[in-house]
Amino acid sequence: MANPYDVLGVAKSASDGEIRSAYRKLAKTFHPDLNPGDKGAEDRFKDVASAYDLLGDADKRKRFDAGEIDETGAERPQQRYYRDYASEAGHAYASDSGFADYMDGDDAFAELLRRSQQARANRRGPDIRYTLPIPFVDSITGASTRLTLPEGGTLDVTIPPGLVDGQVLRLRGKGAPGTGTGGPGDALIEVEVRPDPRFERDGDDISIELPISLTEAVLGGKVRVPTPTGEVTMTVPKGASTGTRLRLKGKGAPRREGGHGDEYVTLKVVLPHPPDPALEAFVEGWEAGKSFNPREDR
Amino acid sequence: MKREEFLTRSGLEVRTLEIWLEQRWLLPAAEDVETGFSEIDVARAHFIRDLQGGLGVNDPGIDVILHLVDQLHGLRRAFAELKQGQGPLDGE
Repeated sequence: MANPYDVLGVAKSASDGEIRSAYRKLAKTFHPDLNPGDKGAEDRFKDVASAYDLLGDADKRKRFDAGEIDETGAERPQQRYYRDYASEAGHAYASDSGFADYMDGDDAFAELLRRSQQARANRRGPDIRYTLPIPFVDSITGASTRLTLPEGGTLDVTIPPGLVDGQVLRLRGKGAPGTGTGGPGDALIEVEVRPDPRFERDGDDISIELPISLTEAVLGGKVRVPTPTGEVTMTVPKGASTGTRLRLKGKGAPRREGGHGDEYVTLKVVLPHPPDPALEAFVEGWEAGKSFNPREDR
Repeated sequence: MKREEFLTRSGLEVRTLEIWLEQRWLLPAAEDVETGFSEIDVARAHFIRDLQGGLGVNDPGIDVILHLVDQLHGLRRAFAELKQGQGPLDGE
């Protein structure tokens, strides 16, 4: 910023009254809200206002004159002006009274103004955004749910199967009402999938960790496994171990191109609680178990 | 935005806000003045403060200025809309 005395156009010896008067004159000329169409007005007003912040305050002026602070000591923070909002439609301060009479004529200009006002009068309502938390299982299988709106009332929402966290559903015509024949806007529903402690999703596939007993691991057998569509029976092969990964075909999320992903089941061998003395005695005498080292191949 | 946030952002005292609402210089959008303030109200409050403070305009003067400025913005909006939909003029 230039020297504040130059900005306000006053001498260094100017009185407080002269400075205030110079500021008022310039501010009336350059205030952005009194010059809505002049882009340069904001910068000029900022300079004038900053200069007055400095010279209009006796203490700051004294310190500036003494060289203790420079002309940027009174920098103003960024400000949004009324003009930045006022030319938008649909606010309480909007006024047509400056040109309403021009709409009465039968010339092309009046016709354009009338059409423009009609378009404004028949404007589509705005979209409204909502957030809808849903259970993990519903995101895979699909569901129907009812959303309670913060402003009162409810909205019935159909969750399509295979939906992912953050996906936005559009309900046409369920947004805010429009004006005239404009019609309502849409409801945009962002779906928030609540995690399920049993399942993890990876694309179209689902994974799950399934605890099995030592007996099931050693001898194999049939176990019940949860899937998003209910429990199914799965065969654990003989000699299964913690970390063995089995696939349940088609039990994942629906694919866009048709069909379903898979559910992957990772087994986790769990010993009995409390420890069984007979098992302990068996392992004590189990020679082959002592010589087997599962870390050998690492 | 809530009333307290509006008061902080605009730098107004409660009593001043009440007077400005009575004068209809500020027209919060919602019926509930506790929550109905928006960015345009904050910007308008700053404008009125500039007029009253630095520019030394008295209350009747502010009434006139706000009325004229709102008309000016109405005109600017109409011009902008005409400019956007200037199709009908092209053929004439």
